[in-house]
Order: sequence, then structure tokens, then C-alpha cells
Amino acid sequence: MLQITDLKARIGDAEILHGLNLQVNAGEVHAIMGPNGSGKSTLAQVVAGHDAYEVTAGSVTYNGTDLLALEPEERAREGIFLGFQYPVEIPGVNNAYLLKAALNARRKHQGLDEIDAFEFLKLAREKMALLGMDPKFLNRGVNEGFSGGEKKRNEIFQMAMLEPTLAVLDETDSGLDIDALRAVAMGVNALRSPERAIILVTHYQRLLDYVEPDYVHVLSGGRIVRSGDKSLALELEEKGYDWLREAATA
Amino acid sequence: MTSRLAIDALRDAVARLPDNRLSATRLAALDHLQGQGTPTTAHEDWKYTDLSDVIDISNQWLAHSAQERTPDVAADQINALKDRIDAYWLVIANGQVDESSVAVAQAAGISVSLLSDADVALDFDAPLANLNTALLRDGLRIHVEADAQPAKPIGILIVDDASSAVGVSQARVEIDLAERSTASLIEHHVSTGRSRHYANSIVRLVLGDHATARYVRIQERDSGHSQTGRLNVRMGRDSSFEHSAFDFGGKLIRNDLLIDLCGPGALATFTGLYIAVEGQHIDNHTRVDHRVGPAKSIQEYRGILAGATRCVWNGKAIVHAGADGTDAEQANHNLLLSEQSEIDAKPELEIYADDVKCSHGTTIGQLDESALYYLRTRGLDRRHAQQLLTQAFAQSIVDRVSIDLLQDTLREMVAVRLSKLIEGDIGL
Repeated sequence: MLQITDLKARIGDAEILHGLNLQVNAGEVHAIMGPNGSGKSTLAQVVAGHDAYEVTAGSVTYNGTDLLALEPEERAREGIFLGFQYPVEIPGVNNAYLLKAALNARRKHQGLDEIDAFEFLKLAREKMALLGMDPKFLNRGVNEGFSGGEKKRNEIFQMAMLEPTLAVLDETDSGLDIDALRAVAMGVNALRSPERAIILVTHYQRLLDYVEPDYVHVLSGGRIVRSGDKSLALELEEKGYDWLREAATA
Repeated sequence: MTSRLAIDALRDAVARLPDNRLSATRLAALDHLQGQGTPTTAHEDWKYTDLSDVIDISNQWLAHSAQERTPDVAADQINALKDRIDAYWLVIANGQVDESSVAVAQAAGISVSLLSDADVALDFDAPLANLNTALLRDGLRIHVEADAQPAKPIGILIVDDASSAVGVSQARVEIDLAERSTASLIEHHVSTGRSRHYANSIVRLVLGDHATARYVRIQERDSGHSQTGRLNVRMGRDSSFEHSAFDFGGKLIRNDLLIDLCGPGALATFTGLYIAVEGQHIDNHTRVDHRVGPAKSIQEYRGILAGATRCVWNGKAIVHAGADGTDAEQANHNLLLSEQSEIDAKPELEIYADDVKCSHGTTIGQLDESALYYLRTRGLDRRHAQQLLTQAFAQSIVDRVSIDLLQDTLREMVAVRLSKLIEGDIGL
């Protein structure tokens, strides 16, 4: 589904990714771990299409198409979803409006009719109940005045509504209390299916207690320095990242 | 250098107006105007707004013998508007009061008459007010009786048709709301036609003790037409004035809103939204005089500027000696969508009392790139995202419109205007 080959990317003058390779197939859940500044968020933003990051070498293909040639909105319509580490507050833009517009943009791209208002509301209420969210959130401004945990739940709620083919969650677990963490995990597990893939970018192992990854990768110094199964996450939890950083620079 | 008004031609035009009870007042106003001259950019209050073009239109019109046009203009447009907003509509078309509308607007608690039939003394203060008085064929007087609460808003439609020749028109309305009355008022300006046009309106509103006025001004003139407008409000004890203004159209637009807080307990809330595109110049000057305390004024104007445009916001609050317990808030926020747009924003506070609370804030910025990106990652294209964000910026003014039945209409008008602006469809 997603094939990243020898990817180099920079922001301003600083090169962050120095030749990254990653393959993600349908049905898989990948965890990307690594110390601060290793390039995890850069990787997530490059996949989503943030124009502050410049790709200087390598390629990213998604279901056979050149992802880097697409605008962020085109990527979204092709089924890519980015869960933000810091979701943006947009006062005055109603949550429900945004979700409906997002859903319809995708549906239009797929040649489907716009979603019926009643059907939309029913679906939204269903997903919110699942994530333990107050339906009142629907009529508030996007993330406006939300607590950190509420913002992250809202990201997962959006993901649940949009049912992406490839979800990239950028440290969605950071700063969450245990209830919110469980809700996030529930949202991610509900999305798992043979047609979809999920990339969890995370600093800590604790989310992986609730969402079992198929693969764990360690990103350090802009490269993947180690890949393994879920036991790698446990090893990292125990040993920290220093031993890998040393391995990467050696 | 600002052009000079052809005063002799003006005197001829005044002499040709129909003789009525206003005749002597017109001549007195003309004398005052001659002594004052029209404002130039040398005046502090007119520093950013050059009236040369307006004077030029006036002189051109005077040179054509101040041609009067028939008042039966744009009937379809007027009817469409009447259908859209349910109100007691009074119409001033091409500067002439539509007398049939005066009869229709009489309702429980409201009496409307022609200014020439009423006993109202006009002031001779500002030059453009004197120009208005000098050229005034007739105006409207609206009286809302004590304790009355008219069922529908009172609408004043000021419409001009400049399709056949250059035009100048004056509108004058004197309104008073007697004690404890509550009324909604809509001042709506529209114009059509490809010829040059200058409209000048003066509205005076007097609020009796405990009276409440909900006031909405909507200006959607043709992009080739100019307008100066002044609204004077005098507020009694415990009266309330809730004002929202929307400037969507016009070429050169200058609005003066002057509020006198004369009674303790008075509350003035005034907001405005201006959306300016290519070639437009929109100037909002507000002045609130706190003459007694305690009293409160809250103002917020917002502007969205695209293309080569210039807007001005100047908010002055004067707290007079002895007006203790004054609370005055001013805010002005601007969204600049192009590098060619310019805003001159100036809050002014003059405080001569001791126990006062005053605040002001002005912001000028662009659309938030991180919000744009966020929306795009959800599948919205750039234009849609831009439109949503500009609309959200404008929405806080629409939300504060106190005439409930106008909120949806205005939201729609703002959305239409902004979608055209984002698509770049509005030009000259």
C-alpha cells in the first residue's frame, strides 16, 4: 500500500530524513518509535503533504501512485488520514460542518452522492458514543476550547467517520490520561481491517499495550535503524533509545 | 488637492427644489456649507479618505442642471428585498421619498410622516450634513410611541438607479423612540446602473429613557457608486442601542457613527463588518461620547480585505469630565488577503473622568496557515478552506445581529460575498 524508498526531506536548511525506507501493506499496523528529534513527525507530515517539508530525494508511492505529486486534500480524498500531534483550533468553523464537508469531499472523489443529513447525524452519534464523547461537541468550533485529551479524541472521531485506507497517527497517545488512551486505542482497533493500514507514531510503549502492532520500527537520526515485532517496543521501554542512537552513528 | 464643490451651481440647484417648509432651512444649510467647505484630507478625520471623486461627481451632476430622476427605480429589486425581509418598508428612491410607502408603514405604535410636514429642527453641524439639508427635497420622520413594541422591524430602503445619467441623491431620516419603546430598524442601501453616482445619507436617532433600538445597516451599492453616511444617536437614561453594520459594496464608502451617551445606565453595543475587494475604499469612523456615568459602550468592527483595497477604521471614545463609571471597549480586527490591501486602524481614547474602565485592541493578520493545512488534510481544497476561515472570521459579527430574523439572511449574504471574493469573481 505505502512504499517509501530512500526518502530524504528537510525543513528550511535542516535535513531531517536521511534516506528512509518503509513498506506498509494492507491489513498491517506499524508502530514508529524513536527519541525526540528523530524525524517521526516529519515522516508523518511528509506523508500528509505539509508544504513546509521539502522532499529532496527518494519516493513515496501509495497504491501505485506517486504520493508526493498530490496536494494534501487529494491525499485525503485518496484515503490518507493524519491524526495531528497538535490539533489546530479553528473557532467559528463548526465540527459537524467540517466533518460533513470532509466526508463529502471523499465521497465525491469516489463518485458517490453526498451523505444525507440524517444518516450523517446517526453515524456521528454512533461513533461519538463509542469514543465516549459528548454529542454537544458536534456543534462546537473545531477543537475550540477543547482540552488536550478532547482534541485527541476528536482526531480519532474524525478518523472513525472518514474510515481512511491509511491512517497515520502522530503521537496521538501523548499527554493522555488512561481513559482517553483507551478511547484512542478503541478507535484504532475498530478501524483495523484487511483493507486498511495504520501507522502509529509514538514516543512511548504504553499505547501498544492496547493496540498490538504487527511491526515496530525505530527511527533515529532520520533513518529506520531497527525493525522488529512488538517485542522490540518492550525492549525499548526497558533499555531506552541511547543504545540504538549509538548503533546508528557507529 | 481635493476638488472644490461648484457652489454657485449648487445654489441654482437648491433654488430649483420644490418650495416647502424646508426651503428656508436649505438656504441656511447652504450658507453654512459655503463657509465650511467640504472636508479635505488636511482634516484629521478625513486624512485617509479623499472626497475628490465625490465632489467631481457632484459637480458633473450640477453641470447637468442637477437632473432629477424619477423615483420609480428598480422595482423588481425592491420587491425582492421586501419579500426577503419582512418589515414595514419605507422607500427613498433616487433621493425622493416614496409617499405610498409612508402610508403602508403606519402600524400600531409607529407614525411616519414627511419631514416637510413635521416640526423637526435640523442641525447645521457637519459639512456633508449641510450638503444633505441644502439638497433635500424631503425626508422621513419616524416616531415610535412610548411603550410601543412594533411587531415588525421598520425598514428604510435607500435605493438609487444611475443607469441613465450621473446622479447625486440625499436621504434624510429623523427617528425618535419614545420612553420604554423597543423597535428594530433596518437601513438598507442598494444601487444599480453604470453611470457615476454619489449618495449622501443622514440619519438621526433619539432614544428616550429606557428605550431599546436594534439597528442594522446593510450597504450593498454597485461597485462603481460612492456613499457617505452619518448616523447620529442620542441616548437617554437606561436606553439601549444595539447596532450592526455590513458594508458589502460601493466604490468609496465613508460611514460616520456618532453616539452620545446622555443618560446614566445607557448601553451602546455597536459592531460592523466590511468586506472590501478590488478598488474599494471603505472608511468607518465611530465616535462615542460618554457624557454621564455609569454607562457602557462596546464596539467591535471586523474587516476582510482582498485585492488592491484600502479600509479605514477610526474608533474614538471620549469620556467627559464627571462621566464616572464609564466602561468603554473597542476592538478592530482585520484580515488582509492580499499584499495590495491596506488598513489604517486607529483607536482613540480621550479620558477626562477618574473612575473609568477603557480598553482597546486592534489586530491585522492573514489567514492562519496551520488551520488551512489542517482543513486540507481533511479533504477540503484550498479555496474551500479559505472560505471557511474567512467566514468564521466574519461570523462573530453576524452572530451579534440583534434582529433575529436577519441573522440567516446576513449569514447568506456574507457567504455569497466571500465565495465570490475567494473565487476572484469580484472585480471592477
